[in-house]
Amino acid sequence: MVTAKTKIVNPQGMHMRPAQLFVNTMAKYKSEVTIVFNGKNINAKSIMHLMAACIKQGSEIEIQCCGEQEAEALKAAVELVESGLGE
Amino acid sequence: MILRGIAASDGIGIGKVVRVQEQNLDYSAVKYGGKEAEKDRLQAAITQFNEKTTDMAEHIRTQVGEKESEILTGQIMMLSDPFMQSQMGEAIDAGQCAEAAVDQVCTMYAEMFAGVDDELMRQRATDVRDIRSRMLAILLGVTGVDVSRLPAGSVLVARDLTPSMTVGLDKEHVAAILTEVGGRTSHSAILARALELPAVLSVPNAMEQLKDGEQVIVDGGEGVALVGPDQSTLAQYQTKQEEFLRRKALLAVYRDKETVDAEGNRYALYANIGSTADAAAAAGSGAEGVGLFRTEFLFMDRVDMPTEAEQYEAYLAVSRTMAGKEVIIRTLDVGGDKAVDYLGMAPEENPFLGHRAIRYCLDNPDLYKVQLRALLRAGAEEKNIKIMLPLVTSLEEIRGAKALLETCKRELEAEGLPYHKDIPLGIMVETPAAALIADLLARECDFFSIGTNDLTQYTMAVDRGNAQVENLYTTFHPAVLRSIRNVITAAKEAGIQVGMCGEAAADPRLIPLLMTWGLDEFSVSASAVLATRAQIHHWHTAQASQVTQKAMGLSTAAEVEEYLKSAVQ
Repeated sequence: MVTAKTKIVNPQGMHMRPAQLFVNTMAKYKSEVTIVFNGKNINAKSIMHLMAACIKQGSEIEIQCCGEQEAEALKAAVELVESGLGE
Repeated sequence: MILRGIAASDGIGIGKVVRVQEQNLDYSAVKYGGKEAEKDRLQAAITQFNEKTTDMAEHIRTQVGEKESEILTGQIMMLSDPFMQSQMGEAIDAGQCAEAAVDQVCTMYAEMFAGVDDELMRQRATDVRDIRSRMLAILLGVTGVDVSRLPAGSVLVARDLTPSMTVGLDKEHVAAILTEVGGRTSHSAILARALELPAVLSVPNAMEQLKDGEQVIVDGGEGVALVGPDQSTLAQYQTKQEEFLRRKALLAVYRDKETVDAEGNRYALYANIGSTADAAAAAGSGAEGVGLFRTEFLFMDRVDMPTEAEQYEAYLAVSRTMAGKEVIIRTLDVGGDKAVDYLGMAPEENPFLGHRAIRYCLDNPDLYKVQLRALLRAGAEEKNIKIMLPLVTSLEEIRGAKALLETCKRELEAEGLPYHKDIPLGIMVETPAAALIADLLARECDFFSIGTNDLTQYTMAVDRGNAQVENLYTTFHPAVLRSIRNVITAAKEAGIQVGMCGEAAADPRLIPLLMTWGLDEFSVSASAVLATRAQIHHWHTAQASQVTQKAMGLSTAAEVEEYLKSAVQ
């Protein structure tokens, strides 16, 4: 498993559109992707879970990738979050 | 028969009742057909859901707009969530039929969304419930009234309009909308306004009281529906409908025009709003900003104080909806008539003269600081957010609020949170005291906004709700007009911006006076924006000034009102 800590920078946080982009990007990788936020593990390939977690701008999150393609998945996830999730 | 409800979308609709029955989604008679069979049924239903919804989204994108269609494409995305689908699969594995699996999983997510502390996210609960009922309808093979294919002149009557129903509406054939639930800020109300369909919501028992095919007149401006009208009523409303449409067409040309008088002098024309949803209506109305955002709604209809984060989100949401245009946010104005249970405010003999608005807030700094911090933080991202204090009567109140604001800034600095260091601070001028010392107040704040409703009430010492003295409530009284003039003059001399956010700002009879005295900004309800712009357009400086001089030379409210009525067409 590989992990990285990062911070949500886009103003909307994980609302519909940013969450959609994140989930769609993660779907390209075979590894499991989990976001740890507020002590909770969120399945980052599920838009429902991601949205219901209410992750807002400024939130510190940890991304964990596990399994095949984990390094690539983590790199893509961190880059996407830091680039502002398309906003 | 007259039915009353909430006036949710302006206009007159005349047509025949078409009731949209709640579909019977009872699946208790469905027999479990085995894991494979149920999963196949589920997948087939999902495919069908996606096809239908894609069609609807495309339809709404071309008919209404990109943003409205995103409600539906979002639903497809949600139902396509592999995790949610696997949870439905697990329920089937455990011996549940496909219907039960959809019901359980959707209900669980709806509750999850309904419980989060983010207004936008809570709306996703409505989407999940909509997915649930449409999936169940597909699985059970239930068909309801097809709202995309209605006879011409239909008045839709429903318990509630779901997002999918509202967006699938065949606009050309719908005369009006009536529902049993929903307020001015509900999904249905927003869409009805976007589609420009007259709508009255929250009509009790509408489904029971109306029969299919019955003729009904819906007055979306007044919030009433007249069932089975006689010939003279019908004729009267047909005239009203024609007038409404003619006026709308006339005003439509002002939507994209600048707010200038006949000589090209510019004025700012803003809207008054009471919620984040109202901001959309304001933006759509052609308003150039928000002159008054009443924040009370954030505090009402709930059991505890909105958190700093909730308030911050709401202020940002409004500013973003207005595309970064100026937004003047009035801090909490509670007390007396606007009670909030959990604040535990004591009942008062004279609530309008009591412990309310800025007085209450300054005496409860812990509560007030939450709002000020949220405003400072929102201001860091949206520089056009301004703070306005309600019911100011003295300089001490401005200084008190400023001191508290400084404390909040120091706290935010220490916490490393971004905030707007120079956030503009202004006041509502709505008490005779403030109007009389406007010159002194102007030295210590950044802008004024004249609240004519309270200013009139306090100046005239009259309770608007008391029928016996109601007739004394008039903005045309020379005392009120002199007050307004005094405030504008004081602001001009101090070089600060002065606006007006009371009903008088939209009164065609007062507009020439306000223009002459130099009012910078008119803030009116979203529905009055275009009419106000049209009024401002036709005045020449010399004419307006002549009317003002004449009006101010008269000595009674009745004389002033009568003269202005004749002078302003």
